[in-house]
Amino acid sequence: MTDPSIVRVVNVSRYFKRGTERVNVLNSLDLNVPEGQFLALMGPSGSGKTTLLNLIAGLDTPSEGEIWVGDRCVSQMSEAQLARWRNAHVGFVFQFYHLLPVLSAYENVELPLLLLPLTAKKRREQVMTALELVGLKDRNSHLPSQLSGGQQQRVGIARAIVTDPTLIVADEPTGDLDAKSAHEILDLLNVLQRALNKTILMVTHDLRAARRADRIQHLDKGRLVDQPDEELYEAG
Amino acid sequence: MKFFMLILKNLRRNMLRSALTSAGVMVLVFVITLIWSILGFLDTVTSEKTSNFKGIVTEKWSIPSQMPFSYADTLENGAAREDTDIKPIDSMTWQFFIGTTEKGKGFSLKTFVFAFCMEPKKLLTMMDELDSLAPAPKAELEKAVEAMEQNRQGIIIGQKRLAALEKRVGDRIKIFGVNYRDLELECEIVGTFPLGRYDNNSCINRDYLNASLDAYKANQGKPHPLANKTMNLVWVKVPDRESFTQVSEQINNSPMFASPPVKIETASSGVANFLAAYKDLLTILRWALAPSIIATLAVVISNAISISVRERRKEMAVLKVIGFQPNQIMFLVLGEAILLGVVAGSISSIGTYFFVNRVMGGIPFPIAFFSSFPVLDGALWWGAAIGFATSFAGSILPALSTRSIKVVDVFSKVA
Repeated sequence: MTDPSIVRVVNVSRYFKRGTERVNVLNSLDLNVPEGQFLALMGPSGSGKTTLLNLIAGLDTPSEGEIWVGDRCVSQMSEAQLARWRNAHVGFVFQFYHLLPVLSAYENVELPLLLLPLTAKKRREQVMTALELVGLKDRNSHLPSQLSGGQQQRVGIARAIVTDPTLIVADEPTGDLDAKSAHEILDLLNVLQRALNKTILMVTHDLRAARRADRIQHLDKGRLVDQPDEELYEAG
Repeated sequence: MKFFMLILKNLRRNMLRSALTSAGVMVLVFVITLIWSILGFLDTVTSEKTSNFKGIVTEKWSIPSQMPFSYADTLENGAAREDTDIKPIDSMTWQFFIGTTEKGKGFSLKTFVFAFCMEPKKLLTMMDELDSLAPAPKAELEKAVEAMEQNRQGIIIGQKRLAALEKRVGDRIKIFGVNYRDLELECEIVGTFPLGRYDNNSCINRDYLNASLDAYKANQGKPHPLANKTMNLVWVKVPDRESFTQVSEQINNSPMFASPPVKIETASSGVANFLAAYKDLLTILRWALAPSIIATLAVVISNAISISVRERRKEMAVLKVIGFQPNQIMFLVLGEAILLGVVAGSISSIGTYFFVNRVMGGIPFPIAFFSSFPVLDGALWWGAAIGFATSFAGSILPALSTRSIKVVDVFSKVA
């Protein structure tokens, strides 16, 4: 592998059938992301950002083309293989955190580790390290309902990094947060990238959030575009 | 074990729903436990034994059976006449005495007495269940039998009947005959039966009944109208079926029993014949009510788990995202249902076993000769088994549906 990119999207198309109609979401898209880069994907609603993110994270499979993450062709894995691969190599940060409400912060972060052959002691070490990294070690016994939105998102990030994944994918991670909390989350993502050399793919509508990334990639109508139509980001 | 806590916490997510579902399981398992106990008990008493056969000799053509007491010795010997004939290894006679403790005040549950008049020592060797007691209750019964042997006016009364009569051991009671009109027995309560099958029955020394009938004749100048019809049943115990067949032939061929003629049948066959009157009721219990309850139980669980799965599609999608396999998510759902079913079912059936047997002294369901039924030992595991089977059946479809949850679809609706 001479290509330094950790993520390679090769001529990927994704379309859906709606009755007899074919809806193209992504059209022959190519994208390379080098290891350790923080990439922001921007675009209007329906441009295919989240679809692209889902394909790279192995949550969906392309209709055409290939997706490589490291030396693995994600687009050719079975569902079981994808589940194992995601557990070990991908951390996912959701817009709405999606923590399990019956589990404490600690238990939420521990969830991905339950699938790995680790001792309870080792799991505890990793969970506490992840919680310390996001500044919530002292809140580990709190339920999600006892945490603020920003804190819940930090727990979500701890859950995403607890297995030490190659890739962190974040779908609008600041979309549900106030400006201060959003700022803290973006700081945290910057720390993960710089201190731990994590590759981060973030979908966002927020230009200010996108500017915290190393690189901004715009999508429109399922294609990558170099210069975004300014109208698209008026709101941002 | 790693996933057990997750299953447990998911059950605690909606405590009201889990509690209501558990309550539903417990109520239905309770009813099933009672039904199966009654049916199981009746199956046991109507199934033929392979050894220690008991035969019942009754009047051939008449119900209720009323034989002269003069038949007693011959029948207890199996009508053996030749050296090659077989004699029963044990036997007993039953004369039923039905009475009331308050003369002229009617016949009520508070005054009613139903007694087997028999040889007291036969209580320990011939009466079902009393012949296989644990050491402590056996010692108590032996003491009471000893007292009856020494005092032929002694009476042993079942504990529930004793309570209903508001009497205690040591008290004296006068029983006014209902089937034996104008016969009064004055008895001293010398003991009780262990809790269970004989809670509402009593036992009087047959010698006392027979002596009272003699006294009646002496006082009235004529025999009691039932004097020649006092023996209702004779029980004979033989070692095996072959012996039973031979004793049957001896009794059937004996010229002793011409008027009235008698018949002999196995105890189980006798009970089964008696239960024929309840055949429809028992068939409905066995083949309609019990299966319906089990099906209802599965539906109750299915309903609860389906709602739970529908509410948690997002969470299940999250689990998939972080690497859970479809089968693992399915097993989490199955685990929740099975844990709930097994725990609630076990609590219900084990609780029923101890409460009914230890506190209530049996299921009060008067049928045939049985006034109450014990909850069978099988109930200790029935609850877990019913809970497991019904929760598995009820949750398998909702659990399978979790395998097909598409993460992309779930989050496309959320976003």
